[in-house]
Amino acid sequence: MKTIVITGSRKGIGKALAEHYLKDGWRVAGCSRDDASIEHSHYFHFSLDVSDEDAVIAMAHKIKTDFGRVNALLNNAGIASMNHALLTPAKTVNQILQTNVVGTFIFCREMAKLMRSTDNARIVNFTTIAHPLNLEGEAIYAASKAAVESLTRILSRELAALKITVNAVGPTPIDTDLIRGVPEDKMKALLSRQSIQRMGKVTDVINAIDFYLSEKSDFITGQVLYLGGVS
Amino acid sequence: MSEKKVIEALIIDLVKLLAEDFQIDSLINPDATTLLYGIDGPLDSMALVNLIADIEDAISEKFSVSISLADEKAMSAHHSPYRSVTSLADAVLERMPS
Ligand SMILES: NC(=O)c1ccc[n+]([C@@H]2O[C@H](COP(=O)([O-])OP(=O)(O)OC[C@H]3O[C@@H](n4cnc5c(N)ncnc54)[C@H](OP(=O)(O)O)[C@@H]3O)[C@@H](O)[C@H]2O)c1
Repeated sequence: MKTIVITGSRKGIGKALAEHYLKDGWRVAGCSRDDASIEHSHYFHFSLDVSDEDAVIAMAHKIKTDFGRVNALLNNAGIASMNHALLTPAKTVNQILQTNVVGTFIFCREMAKLMRSTDNARIVNFTTIAHPLNLEGEAIYAASKAAVESLTRILSRELAALKITVNAVGPTPIDTDLIRGVPEDKMKALLSRQSIQRMGKVTDVINAIDFYLSEKSDFITGQVLYLGGVS
Repeated sequence: MSEKKVIEALIIDLVKLLAEDFQIDSLINPDATTLLYGIDGPLDSMALVNLIADIEDAISEKFSVSISLADEKAMSAHHSPYRSVTSLADAVLERMPS
Protein backbone atom coordinates (compact mmCIF):
# COMPACT_ATOMS: atom_id res chain seq x y z
CA MET A 1 0.00 0.00 0.00
CA LYS A 2 1.35 3.43 -0.92
CA THR A 3 1.69 6.10 1.77
CA ILE A 4 0.87 9.76 1.25
CA VAL A 5 1.60 12.45 3.83
CA ILE A 6 -0.86 15.35 3.83
CA THR A 7 -0.28 18.33 6.10
CA GLY A 8 -3.21 20.36 7.40
CA SER A 9 -5.66 17.48 6.96
CA ARG A 10 -8.11 18.43 9.74
CA LYS A 11 -10.27 20.69 7.59
CA GLY A 12 -10.57 22.57 4.31
CA ILE A 13 -8.69 21.43 1.22
CA GLY A 14 -6.38 19.13 3.22
CA LYS A 15 -9.29 17.14 4.65
CA ALA A 16 -10.85 16.75 1.20
CA LEU A 17 -7.51 15.58 -0.18
CA ALA A 18 -7.12 13.04 2.62
CA GLU A 19 -10.60 11.67 1.99
CA HIS A 20 -9.96 11.50 -1.74
CA TYR A 21 -6.68 9.57 -1.42
CA LEU A 22 -8.15 7.23 1.21
CA LYS A 23 -10.92 6.40 -1.25
CA ASP A 24 -8.26 5.90 -3.89
CA GLY A 25 -6.59 3.19 -1.78
CA TRP A 26 -3.70 5.12 -0.23
CA ARG A 27 -2.61 5.00 3.38
CA VAL A 28 -2.78 8.61 4.60
CA ALA A 29 -0.58 10.12 7.31
CA GLY A 30 -2.16 13.46 8.09
CA CYS A 31 -1.36 16.19 10.55
CA SER A 32 -2.62 19.44 12.02
CA ARG A 33 -2.32 21.27 15.34
CA ASP A 34 -5.70 19.97 16.46
CA ASP A 35 -7.06 16.44 16.74
CA ALA A 36 -8.12 14.34 13.76
CA SER A 37 -11.49 14.87 12.11
CA ILE A 38 -11.25 11.76 9.93
CA GLU A 39 -11.88 8.22 11.11
CA HIS A 40 -10.66 5.54 8.74
CA SER A 41 -8.62 2.39 9.24
CA HIS A 42 -5.93 3.70 6.86
CA TYR A 43 -5.82 7.24 8.26
CA PHE A 44 -3.16 8.14 10.85
CA HIS A 45 -3.21 11.57 12.45
CA PHE A 46 -0.32 13.42 14.05
CA SER A 47 -1.23 16.45 16.15
CA LEU A 48 1.64 18.84 15.59
CA ASP A 49 2.62 22.25 14.33
CA VAL A 50 4.32 21.87 10.94
CA SER A 51 7.05 24.30 11.98
CA ASP A 52 8.00 22.25 15.06
CA GLU A 53 11.13 20.53 13.82
CA ASP A 54 11.37 17.95 16.62
CA ALA A 55 7.72 16.96 16.24
CA VAL A 56 8.09 16.52 12.46
CA ILE A 57 11.24 14.42 12.94
CA ALA A 58 9.32 12.25 15.44
CA MET A 59 6.45 11.89 12.94
CA ALA A 60 8.92 10.80 10.23
CA HIS A 61 10.45 8.31 12.65
CA LYS A 62 7.03 6.81 13.43
CA ILE A 63 6.12 6.58 9.73
CA LYS A 64 9.44 4.92 8.97
CA THR A 65 8.97 2.39 11.79
CA ASP A 66 5.33 1.62 10.99
CA PHE A 67 5.14 1.91 7.20
CA GLY A 68 8.77 1.93 6.00
CA ARG A 69 8.57 4.63 3.40
CA VAL A 70 6.65 7.55 1.93
CA ASN A 71 5.52 7.78 -1.70
CA ALA A 72 4.05 11.27 -1.75
CA LEU A 73 3.86 14.47 0.30
CA LEU A 74 1.26 17.23 -0.05
CA ASN A 75 2.39 20.35 1.82
CA ASN A 76 -1.10 21.74 2.18
CA ALA A 77 -1.04 23.27 5.70
CA GLY A 78 -1.07 27.02 5.40
CA ILE A 79 -2.35 30.17 7.03
CA ALA A 80 -3.12 33.63 5.66
CA SER A 81 -3.73 37.06 7.03
CA MET A 82 -5.52 39.50 4.80
CA ASN A 83 -4.49 42.93 5.98
CA HIS A 84 -2.89 46.15 4.79
CA ALA A 85 0.88 46.00 5.28
CA LEU A 86 0.80 49.02 7.60
CA LEU A 87 -1.59 47.14 9.88
CA THR A 88 0.34 43.86 9.98
CA PRO A 89 2.26 43.13 13.20
CA ALA A 90 5.62 41.35 13.02
CA LYS A 91 4.18 38.51 15.10
CA THR A 92 1.70 37.73 12.31
CA VAL A 93 4.50 37.93 9.74
CA ASN A 94 6.52 35.40 11.71
CA GLN A 95 3.56 33.04 12.16
CA ILE A 96 2.81 33.02 8.44
CA LEU A 97 6.43 32.46 7.46
CA GLN A 98 6.84 29.74 10.08
CA THR A 99 3.82 27.75 8.92
CA ASN A 100 3.96 28.32 5.17
CA VAL A 101 7.71 28.40 4.53
CA VAL A 102 9.50 26.75 7.45
CA GLY A 103 6.82 24.05 7.77
CA THR A 104 6.93 23.26 4.06
CA PHE A 105 10.71 23.08 4.16
CA ILE A 106 10.94 20.79 7.19
CA PHE A 107 8.37 18.39 5.73
CA CYS A 108 10.18 18.31 2.37
CA ARG A 109 13.46 17.55 4.13
CA GLU A 110 12.19 14.86 6.47
CA MET A 111 9.85 13.10 4.04
CA ALA A 112 12.41 13.18 1.19
CA LYS A 113 14.59 11.00 3.42
CA LEU A 114 11.75 8.46 3.58
CA MET A 115 11.28 8.63 -0.20
CA ARG A 116 14.83 7.62 -1.06
CA SER A 117 13.95 3.95 -1.39
CA THR A 118 10.97 4.52 -3.68
CA ASP A 119 10.87 5.17 -7.38
CA ASN A 120 8.51 7.88 -8.57
CA ALA A 121 8.16 9.78 -5.31
CA ARG A 122 6.25 13.05 -5.41
CA ILE A 123 6.14 16.29 -3.46
CA VAL A 124 3.42 18.86 -4.13
CA ASN A 125 3.61 22.25 -2.42
CA PHE A 126 0.84 24.82 -2.11
CA THR A 127 1.04 28.35 -3.45
CA THR A 128 -1.74 30.78 -4.42
CA ILE A 129 -2.73 33.06 -7.26
CA ALA A 130 -2.30 35.94 -4.77
CA HIS A 131 1.41 35.82 -5.61
CA PRO A 132 1.33 36.26 -9.43
CA LEU A 133 -1.58 38.73 -9.11
CA ASN A 134 0.35 40.81 -6.53
CA LEU A 135 -2.84 41.13 -4.48
CA GLU A 136 -3.05 44.15 -2.22
CA GLY A 137 -3.78 43.22 1.38
CA GLU A 138 -1.96 39.90 1.09
CA ALA A 139 1.66 41.06 1.12
CA ILE A 140 3.01 38.58 3.66
CA TYR A 141 0.82 35.66 2.59
CA ALA A 142 1.82 36.16 -1.06
CA ALA A 143 5.48 36.66 -0.13
CA SER A 144 5.43 33.42 1.88
CA LYS A 145 4.05 31.56 -1.14
CA ALA A 146 6.66 33.19 -3.40
CA ALA A 147 9.20 31.60 -1.08
CA VAL A 148 7.39 28.26 -1.39
CA GLU A 149 7.58 28.53 -5.20
CA SER A 150 11.31 29.23 -5.08
CA LEU A 151 11.78 26.32 -2.69
CA THR A 152 9.82 24.11 -5.10
CA ARG A 153 12.04 24.99 -8.06
CA ILE A 154 15.32 24.56 -6.21
CA LEU A 155 14.30 21.34 -4.41
CA SER A 156 13.16 19.92 -7.75
CA ARG A 157 16.80 20.14 -8.82
CA GLU A 158 18.30 18.97 -5.54
CA LEU A 159 15.95 15.98 -5.25
CA ALA A 160 15.96 14.92 -8.91
CA ALA A 161 18.82 12.50 -8.27
CA LEU A 162 16.61 10.76 -5.70
CA LYS A 163 13.86 10.41 -8.33
CA ILE A 164 11.57 12.75 -6.40
CA THR A 165 9.59 15.32 -8.37
CA VAL A 166 8.71 18.60 -6.64
CA ASN A 167 5.91 20.75 -8.02
CA ALA A 168 3.37 23.27 -6.76
CA VAL A 169 -0.29 24.00 -7.28
CA GLY A 170 -1.71 27.52 -6.98
CA PRO A 171 -5.46 27.52 -6.33
CA THR A 172 -7.83 30.43 -6.87
CA PRO A 173 -10.17 31.28 -3.95
CA ILE A 174 -12.00 28.20 -2.67
CA ASP A 175 -14.70 28.39 -0.03
CA THR A 176 -12.85 27.37 3.17
CA ASP A 177 -12.16 29.01 6.54
CA LEU A 178 -8.98 30.50 5.07
CA ILE A 179 -10.88 33.12 3.08
CA ARG A 180 -13.94 33.57 5.36
CA GLY A 181 -12.90 37.09 6.30
CA VAL A 182 -12.47 38.44 2.76
CA PRO A 183 -15.20 41.03 1.96
CA GLU A 184 -17.52 40.26 -0.97
CA ASP A 185 -16.44 43.24 -3.10
CA LYS A 186 -12.76 42.24 -2.74
CA MET A 187 -13.64 38.68 -3.76
CA LYS A 188 -15.55 39.86 -6.85
CA ALA A 189 -12.64 42.08 -7.88
CA LEU A 190 -10.27 39.15 -7.45
CA LEU A 191 -12.38 36.71 -9.49
CA SER A 192 -12.59 39.28 -12.30
CA ARG A 193 -8.83 39.00 -12.72
CA GLN A 194 -9.03 35.26 -13.48
CA SER A 195 -9.50 34.03 -17.07
CA ILE A 196 -12.28 31.75 -15.84
CA GLN A 197 -14.20 33.86 -13.38
CA ARG A 198 -15.62 31.45 -10.83
CA MET A 199 -14.70 30.25 -7.37
CA GLY A 200 -12.39 27.27 -7.32
CA LYS A 201 -13.51 23.85 -6.08
CA VAL A 202 -11.57 21.29 -4.13
CA THR A 203 -11.95 18.94 -7.11
CA ASP A 204 -9.99 21.44 -9.24
CA VAL A 205 -7.07 21.08 -6.81
CA ILE A 206 -7.43 17.28 -6.66
CA ASN A 207 -7.32 17.15 -10.46
CA ALA A 208 -4.03 19.05 -10.57
CA ILE A 209 -2.52 16.91 -7.81
CA ASP A 210 -3.67 13.66 -9.43
CA PHE A 211 -1.78 14.81 -12.51
CA TYR A 212 1.43 15.46 -10.54
CA LEU A 213 1.12 12.12 -8.68
CA SER A 214 0.58 10.08 -11.83
CA GLU A 215 3.45 7.71 -12.63
CA LYS A 216 3.44 9.19 -16.12
CA SER A 217 4.39 12.60 -14.68
CA ASP A 218 7.95 11.52 -13.85
CA PHE A 219 9.38 14.10 -16.30
CA ILE A 220 7.46 16.99 -14.75
CA THR A 221 9.22 18.78 -11.94
CA GLY A 222 9.86 22.30 -10.66
CA GLN A 223 6.54 23.49 -12.09
CA VAL A 224 3.89 25.78 -10.65
CA LEU A 225 0.36 25.27 -11.93
CA TYR A 226 -2.06 28.14 -11.26
CA LEU A 227 -5.75 27.41 -11.58
CA GLY A 228 -8.42 29.59 -13.19
CA GLY A 229 -6.20 30.81 -16.01
CA VAL A 230 -3.93 32.98 -13.90
CA SER A 231 -0.35 33.19 -15.08
CA MET B 1 33.62 -2.54 22.26
CA SER B 2 33.15 1.10 23.32
CA GLU B 3 30.04 2.88 22.12
CA LYS B 4 32.17 5.05 19.81
CA LYS B 5 33.69 1.96 18.18
CA VAL B 6 30.21 0.47 17.68
CA ILE B 7 29.06 3.61 15.93
CA GLU B 8 32.23 3.87 13.86
CA ALA B 9 31.73 0.27 12.73
CA LEU B 10 28.15 1.04 11.77
CA ILE B 11 29.25 4.11 9.78
CA ILE B 12 32.04 2.15 8.09
CA ASP B 13 29.50 -0.44 6.89
CA LEU B 14 27.29 2.31 5.52
CA VAL B 15 30.23 4.02 3.78
CA LYS B 16 31.09 0.71 2.10
CA LEU B 17 27.53 0.35 0.78
CA LEU B 18 27.55 3.95 -0.39
CA ALA B 19 30.91 3.44 -2.12
CA GLU B 20 29.37 0.58 -4.10
CA ASP B 21 26.22 2.54 -4.97
CA PHE B 22 28.10 5.67 -6.02
CA GLN B 23 31.13 3.77 -7.40
CA ILE B 24 33.66 5.61 -5.25
CA ASP B 25 36.78 3.42 -5.40
CA SER B 26 38.66 5.27 -2.66
CA LEU B 27 35.95 4.37 -0.14
CA ILE B 28 35.71 0.63 -0.74
CA ASN B 29 37.82 -0.13 2.37
CA PRO B 30 37.26 2.72 4.82
CA ASP B 31 38.50 2.90 8.40
CA ALA B 32 37.87 5.36 11.23
CA THR B 33 40.33 7.93 9.87
CA THR B 34 39.01 7.87 6.29
CA LEU B 35 38.20 11.34 5.00
CA LEU B 36 34.69 11.65 3.59
CA TYR B 37 33.65 15.21 2.85
CA GLY B 38 35.38 18.57 2.42
CA ILE B 39 39.10 18.97 1.69
CA ASP B 40 40.41 15.66 0.29
CA GLY B 41 37.07 13.96 0.94
CA PRO B 42 35.68 12.02 -2.06
CA LEU B 43 31.95 12.50 -1.35
CA ASP B 44 29.93 15.03 -3.33
CA SER B 45 26.94 16.68 -1.69
CA MET B 46 24.44 14.14 -3.04
CA ALA B 47 26.46 11.22 -1.71
CA LEU B 48 26.84 13.01 1.63
CA VAL B 49 23.07 13.59 1.85
CA ASN B 50 22.53 9.87 1.30
CA LEU B 51 25.14 8.89 3.86
CA ILE B 52 23.70 11.22 6.52
CA ALA B 53 20.19 9.87 5.93
CA ASP B 54 21.52 6.28 6.02
CA ILE B 55 23.27 6.94 9.33
CA GLU B 56 20.16 8.56 10.86
CA ASP B 57 18.11 5.56 9.70
CA ALA B 58 20.58 3.02 11.05
CA ILE B 59 20.82 4.78 14.42
CA SER B 60 17.06 4.89 14.67
CA GLU B 61 16.82 1.17 13.85
CA LYS B 62 19.63 0.06 16.18
CA PHE B 63 18.97 2.34 19.18
CA SER B 64 15.32 3.36 18.64
CA VAL B 65 16.19 7.05 18.86
CA SER B 66 15.82 9.65 16.16
CA ILE B 67 18.68 12.08 15.75
CA SER B 68 19.29 14.79 13.19
CA LEU B 69 22.87 15.20 12.04
CA ALA B 70 22.05 18.30 10.01
CA ASP B 71 21.33 20.65 12.89
CA GLU B 72 22.54 24.13 13.83
CA LYS B 73 25.40 22.69 15.80
CA ALA B 74 26.68 20.92 12.69
CA MET B 75 26.33 24.06 10.58
CA SER B 76 28.16 26.29 13.03
CA ALA B 77 30.84 23.80 14.08
CA HIS B 78 34.38 25.05 13.49
CA HIS B 79 35.36 21.68 12.02
CA SER B 80 32.62 20.03 9.94
CA PRO B 81 31.35 16.86 11.62
CA TYR B 82 31.02 15.35 8.13
CA ARG B 83 34.74 15.30 7.34
CA SER B 84 35.60 11.75 8.45
CA VAL B 85 34.18 8.53 9.84
CA THR B 86 35.43 9.34 13.34
CA SER B 87 34.09 12.91 13.35
CA LEU B 88 30.71 11.59 12.22
CA ALA B 89 30.75 9.04 15.03
CA ASP B 90 31.46 11.87 17.51
CA ALA B 91 28.56 13.85 16.04
CA VAL B 92 26.24 10.86 16.46
CA LEU B 93 27.34 10.32 20.07
CA GLU B 94 26.83 14.01 20.92
CA ARG B 95 23.26 13.81 19.64
CA MET B 96 22.27 10.55 21.32
CA PRO B 97 20.21 10.96 24.49
CA SER B 98 22.40 9.82 27.40
N1 LIG C 1 -8.92 28.34 0.29
C1 LIG C 1 -8.38 29.11 -0.62
O1 LIG C 1 -9.02 29.99 -1.16
C2 LIG C 1 -6.94 28.89 -1.04
C3 LIG C 1 -6.48 29.56 -2.19
C4 LIG C 1 -5.16 29.41 -2.58
C5 LIG C 1 -4.31 28.60 -1.85
N2 LIG C 1 -4.78 27.97 -0.73
C6 LIG C 1 -3.82 27.15 0.02
O2 LIG C 1 -4.38 25.88 0.27
C7 LIG C 1 -3.91 25.36 1.51
C8 LIG C 1 -5.06 24.90 2.37
O3 LIG C 1 -5.91 25.98 2.63
P1 LIG C 1 -7.41 25.83 3.17
O4 LIG C 1 -8.22 26.80 2.43
O5 LIG C 1 -7.81 24.42 3.19
O6 LIG C 1 -7.22 26.40 4.67
P2 LIG C 1 -8.03 26.03 6.02
O7 LIG C 1 -9.41 25.62 5.70
O8 LIG C 1 -7.81 27.21 6.91
O9 LIG C 1 -7.24 24.75 6.59
C9 LIG C 1 -5.89 24.84 6.95
C10 LIG C 1 -5.43 23.49 7.47
O10 LIG C 1 -4.07 23.58 7.87
C11 LIG C 1 -3.94 23.21 9.26
N3 LIG C 1 -2.88 24.08 9.82
C12 LIG C 1 -2.82 25.42 9.86
N4 LIG C 1 -1.69 25.83 10.46
C13 LIG C 1 -1.02 24.70 10.82
C14 LIG C 1 0.22 24.47 11.47
N5 LIG C 1 1.01 25.48 11.90
N6 LIG C 1 0.60 23.19 11.68
C15 LIG C 1 -0.18 22.16 11.27
N7 LIG C 1 -1.36 22.32 10.63
C16 LIG C 1 -1.77 23.58 10.41
C17 LIG C 1 -5.33 23.42 9.86
O11 LIG C 1 -5.60 22.55 10.95
P3 LIG C 1 -5.35 22.97 12.51
O12 LIG C 1 -6.10 24.22 12.73
O13 LIG C 1 -5.88 21.78 13.28
O14 LIG C 1 -3.86 23.14 12.68
C18 LIG C 1 -6.21 23.02 8.69
O15 LIG C 1 -6.38 21.62 8.64
C19 LIG C 1 -3.07 26.47 2.13
O16 LIG C 1 -1.69 26.24 1.89
C20 LIG C 1 -3.51 27.72 1.40
O17 LIG C 1 -2.52 28.71 1.36
C21 LIG C 1 -6.07 28.09 -0.31
